[in-house]
Amino acid sequence: MANRSTQKHTMTKRKMFLRMITSSLLRRRSRMIIALFSIGIGATILAGLVTIYIDVPRQMGAQFRSYGANVLILPKDGQTLTTKALNESLSSVPPEEIVGSAPYRYVRLDMMTRQQSFTAAGTDFNQIIRTSPYFSVEGSYPASIREILVGKEIAETIGLKTGSSIELTYQPPIREETDEDAAASGDFLSGSAEGFNGALVYVTAAIDDQAKITSIAIDATTQTPQYGGQVMENEDFEAQFIGKSVPLTLGEDVDALTGATITSTAVVTALNQARRTSVPTQPRSVTYTVTGILTTGGEEEGYVFMSLDDMIAITGENKIDVAELSISASADKLSSYVEQIEENSPVAKARLVKRVARSEAAVLSKLQALVFLVTAVVLLLTMICVSTTMMAVVSERRREIGLRKALGASDESIRAEFMGEALFLGLLGGIMGAILGFAFAQVVSVNVFGSSISFQPLLLPAAILVSMAVAAASCLLPIKRAIAIDPALVLKGE
Amino acid sequence: MSLLELKSVSKIYGDLKALDNVSLHVDEGEWVAIMGPSGSGKSTMMNIIGCMDKPTKGEVLLDGVDISKESSRHLTDIRRDKIGLIFQQFHMVPHLTAVENIMVSQYYHSLPDEEEALEALGRVGLRDRARHLPSQLSGGEQQRVCVARALINHPELILADEPTGNLDEANENIVLDLFAQLHKEGTTLIVVTHDQEVAAAAQRTIVLEHGRVAREVINEDFGKTL
Repeated sequence: MANRSTQKHTMTKRKMFLRMITSSLLRRRSRMIIALFSIGIGATILAGLVTIYIDVPRQMGAQFRSYGANVLILPKDGQTLTTKALNESLSSVPPEEIVGSAPYRYVRLDMMTRQQSFTAAGTDFNQIIRTSPYFSVEGSYPASIREILVGKEIAETIGLKTGSSIELTYQPPIREETDEDAAASGDFLSGSAEGFNGALVYVTAAIDDQAKITSIAIDATTQTPQYGGQVMENEDFEAQFIGKSVPLTLGEDVDALTGATITSTAVVTALNQARRTSVPTQPRSVTYTVTGILTTGGEEEGYVFMSLDDMIAITGENKIDVAELSISASADKLSSYVEQIEENSPVAKARLVKRVARSEAAVLSKLQALVFLVTAVVLLLTMICVSTTMMAVVSERRREIGLRKALGASDESIRAEFMGEALFLGLLGGIMGAILGFAFAQVVSVNVFGSSISFQPLLLPAAILVSMAVAAASCLLPIKRAIAIDPALVLKGE
Repeated sequence: MSLLELKSVSKIYGDLKALDNVSLHVDEGEWVAIMGPSGSGKSTMMNIIGCMDKPTKGEVLLDGVDISKESSRHLTDIRRDKIGLIFQQFHMVPHLTAVENIMVSQYYHSLPDEEEALEALGRVGLRDRARHLPSQLSGGEQQRVCVARALINHPELILADEPTGNLDEANENIVLDLFAQLHKEGTTLIVVTHDQEVAAAAQRTIVLEHGRVAREVINEDFGKTL
């Protein structure tokens, strides 16, 4: 004790000030805890709301992405859009902002046995899951070739179930000889040859005026996917044919694909035996297995969905009609991406799905306004609560204040002491609020938006500053009361 | 030399004359008791002498300075520098320890000095109770802390309002012994009381009645019994 005393012999006024205000808070717990709680809870809600407020655009952006695509990519007039061109056009958009990009190729396919025809869409199921999360599939998405997804409407009309088989036929469009387009785009070579195990490999190639091949589509879906089936996916293999004329010799004009010699031979044979026609191909029928029934609540229920590879196989054409893009970005950024895509890509043009983009911005600003309003109300309520508590504290401490004044405390001292207590309360409440508020925001975020948020380091000083300001503002009136207390009251034998 | 002089002081509340043309003087080092029944003007006089109120009429000279016309801000400064107060209800800051309560007085006056505050507690025999909160002290102990607090800034005048009013006899004697010691050291003491025994301990007793000085009694036995 003696040591401690000598150490503290020269105690500064500031030290005594701190000792007075801290012991007021620490030793007079009950009342101060109420004030601390009102500030703390206020700060908690504020910090939580502000965290959500800052995070809302990101959260809601992700949330809105589940309502579907917000950008469409279409071929420019007279151009053909391919998967490759689509991916090139997307280089203008930062990859982390692309939620998904689903290509679509629509054709009519006939079901000869029932004399019905349906719209079939060739797409990429991995992307559909991202761009159209509202798709609900009973069964599973197709995972391999000749597997399809059937819309609920079709499934009900025809009585299809998961695992059912269905034969669909593609009727190539009839081109009239006088059609200028047909003349410009040239004729086609269309043929087939036996590949591995005697299964047929189909080849369709477009040729120009000099009978040189300009594009080629191979349907080797009957072949073992990891061997012969590779000829469909290998662009180098296909590229060998471009610019050449039939007949071709394997090993001279065209090299066989490693591990797919039989299929490669079949492709060359099919081309050499092909009929030159003005239509791309003969009607072709393929039997598919249904892996799932699709429910969307929209027109998609009347469609058949297959992989883009299956689509190329049955139509003999590698092209995309439209691609749906889901991009997580603000309305302004979206518009600039759309412009960039148009500028950079020779074949693709982009369109904003305005309905989605607009409602996104509108809901976002309304939500932010709501959070702002609630924040203001909470701020006000906190101030009222703290002010009331401090008012009660002042009347509870009338005698003590009178005593201090009788002992010589000036108005400034009284003001400084109460303000000090208020700021100390604000400091504690702010720390409490920042921590609890972040936890609160985290809980809200996980439960409402289903994703977690990262701690904003600025939150701590901000919460402390705001709650100190609120505490100080709330104490102005109580301090006025305190200063008005007559020191003479301590003399009366109350 | 007089430390305190009241010249024709009146304090009037509406129709009520709480003090009516009172004149008195207290010399430096004197021990004076002020007596009188309730409503005689004791409290009013105490407030005026303690720089917590101003008279309606008249002059109050404290240490040669007229405090009857000072602003309340100035009165606070004068009270802090010249007067040590002791109250009937003790009045300690409830959330501060005994020694801290004394340091509060130092804090408002000049600089807090814990060692000096502990010495003052030692003088009233409570050094070992320095770290106790008021709620852990008896009434007598609290009043002794208050005496120590009143002394700490070496005031020219100690003003005590019914200092033994809430104490038992044993504690009353302890407090009166402390006053006697202070008197010996040359401190001027004004004790407001309605207790004959407490008044009898002083050198001189001024009796107030209906706001006027009714009589003054010089204690012939002063210094003999104590």
